[in-house]
Amino acid sequence: MQIEGAVAADPVIRVRGLIKRYGDVVAVDGIDFDVAAGEVFGLLGPNGAGKTTTVEILEGLRTPDAGSVTVLGVDVADGAASLKPRIGVSLQTASMYPKLTVGEVIDLFRSFYRESRPTDELIDMLELGERRNAQTKDLSGGQRQRLAVALALVNDPELVFLDEPTTGLDPAARRALWDLIRGLKAAGRSVLLTTHYMEEAEILCDRLAIMDHGRILEMGTVDELISKRFKERAVRFDATDGIDDSQLAGLASVTSVKHDEDAILLYSSDVAATVGALLALTESHGLEPQNLGIRRATLEDVFLDLTGRALRD
Amino acid sequence: MQALLALTLANIRSYTRDRAAVFWTLAFPLVFIVLFGLIFQGSGGARLTFAWVDDDRSEAALQLKAAFDALEGVTLVDATRQGATDDMQVGKVDSIIVVPAGYGAALAASESGGGGPPTPIEVYTDPSRPQLQGSIYQAVGTVLGVVNLGGRPPLVVPNPQTVQTENLNAISYFVPSMLGLSIMQVGIFAAIPLVADREKLILKRLAATPLRRWQLVGSNVLMRVLIAFSQAVIIVAVGTLAFGVEVVGSLLLVAGFVTLGAMAFLALGYVIASFAKTEDAANGMTSMIQFPMMFLSGAFFQIDQMPQFLQVVARLIPLTYLADALRQVMVGGAAFAPLWVCAAVLLGWLVVCFGIAARKFQWQ
Repeated sequence: MQIEGAVAADPVIRVRGLIKRYGDVVAVDGIDFDVAAGEVFGLLGPNGAGKTTTVEILEGLRTPDAGSVTVLGVDVADGAASLKPRIGVSLQTASMYPKLTVGEVIDLFRSFYRESRPTDELIDMLELGERRNAQTKDLSGGQRQRLAVALALVNDPELVFLDEPTTGLDPAARRALWDLIRGLKAAGRSVLLTTHYMEEAEILCDRLAIMDHGRILEMGTVDELISKRFKERAVRFDATDGIDDSQLAGLASVTSVKHDEDAILLYSSDVAATVGALLALTESHGLEPQNLGIRRATLEDVFLDLTGRALRD
Repeated sequence: MQALLALTLANIRSYTRDRAAVFWTLAFPLVFIVLFGLIFQGSGGARLTFAWVDDDRSEAALQLKAAFDALEGVTLVDATRQGATDDMQVGKVDSIIVVPAGYGAALAASESGGGGPPTPIEVYTDPSRPQLQGSIYQAVGTVLGVVNLGGRPPLVVPNPQTVQTENLNAISYFVPSMLGLSIMQVGIFAAIPLVADREKLILKRLAATPLRRWQLVGSNVLMRVLIAFSQAVIIVAVGTLAFGVEVVGSLLLVAGFVTLGAMAFLALGYVIASFAKTEDAANGMTSMIQFPMMFLSGAFFQIDQMPQFLQVVARLIPLTYLADALRQVMVGGAAFAPLWVCAAVLLGWLVVCFGIAARKFQWQ
């Protein structure tokens, strides 16, 4: 079909000049981005950055104050109803009817769509088999989250919105969900996810936008974001009182000094020279750097560089 | 349609798994009825008091009176038609027997072999007191059996008439009231799960599916009307089987008022859910509306016994009209307002509340 082809060629999401205010607070402050078909796109940022508001506008749950939003080739402002059968949504808060069982809730959601995946398949995908007959109020946080993702996939959607999908999951469940998201991508689906986990964004996202205070600070692939800012690697150690930043900045090959909570980061173009100089400096103060380490720059460093603070809860 | 039914089923499951909700809507009214029933069951003895109205003043009429007088446990009081009706309405007499003018002559004509239609006497009873009505007809049957001497066709037949007494016996008054009360609860209590679902963002999650709002509201209406019907069946069954309260009116009308009442109070529940931001607030507002309504509606106390200013309030609240309509239809209780007025008031509440909720209800 002609339209089908056009959608595949065009971005699945196109956002231009999007603004949303709540009273005096500007939650989303004029953002633009595109998500290509078949892409896993991440919105990365701290709580209150405007990620959820952005996603809920795309889902047709909130009306923007300004800007245009096109999803799957449909203008959300007038076509939200026609989009709903084609998208899957997992909200940030994953509670469901407390007295219904996992199987009952999935069956209920299946009834909302003309076509849906079999309940068994969804339960297997999200590894909820053991809890199928449990009421949702008795689920753990992680199980609840997995149920929410299962509900987002009930209609086998072309585009899936996952708002903080791995919050509350243990490491094993998180990895299982990552595999599931990769599987969606392999099956040609597009995914927009929000997260405040750097590691998750690095591993999953083809491209991502870093958001803070309602704005997109930087956008691109993980490699682009890192290499644009950091040619160098970082030397980290626990902060000490005895040495000030100006002394550190003067050390050999150091390009910049940052504070990340209790750690000091020295970005260096020649790590060996920097470490040698650092040890000499600390020794002259009768100190020894604690938890000394060297690493390549990460998204964490990018965020720190962009906002001057670390991205953690 | 599939979504509507699935959601209704989900609502019913959520409801039946919530023991507190089931208790307050189904068991609590029953407990109330049983308590009241036991308290009032002791009243009313085997003695019958008839008002005797003799419009004929023939020898035959006097003989008939003597036959009644001779019955065990029966007291006769001479009266005029008007006085007798007044006495019966306030409970001074249980029944009225009127010997119509021309009784003696007609009886004589029949006896002399003229055949002709049997001669009627009028027997007034209150259909809302079926047990009493039974004893009255039994007494009348006994006397007429003697008068007719097994004659075929019978010479004298009872012509049943009804008088609606103001003193419905307590349990007959109470059973329809309790049904009205239960329907009110099932309607306005809908506010609590609605607000809870909104707080938990379930309504928001549903908004992201193709489900339409009318389907959501429709499933709520279906479920609440179904519960109201189960309440009606249970309450009427217990009233009938355990306490001999007989439904005299049309069951179809009862069903109509149950449906209309449930929908009007559900609309009121939506209004509560429109203003209550949290589940606790919804709980508080529901109680705040429920209790005054309960006591001012005439469900427990008759309205004309209330102080004047409370009567004004009573005339405004929907439960007054639902309970009144159910009493009229079920047990033939004295009317506070004609049935069509009751229906119109309930419909008015339904429309106004629905209008407010449609404007004010927040889905997120």
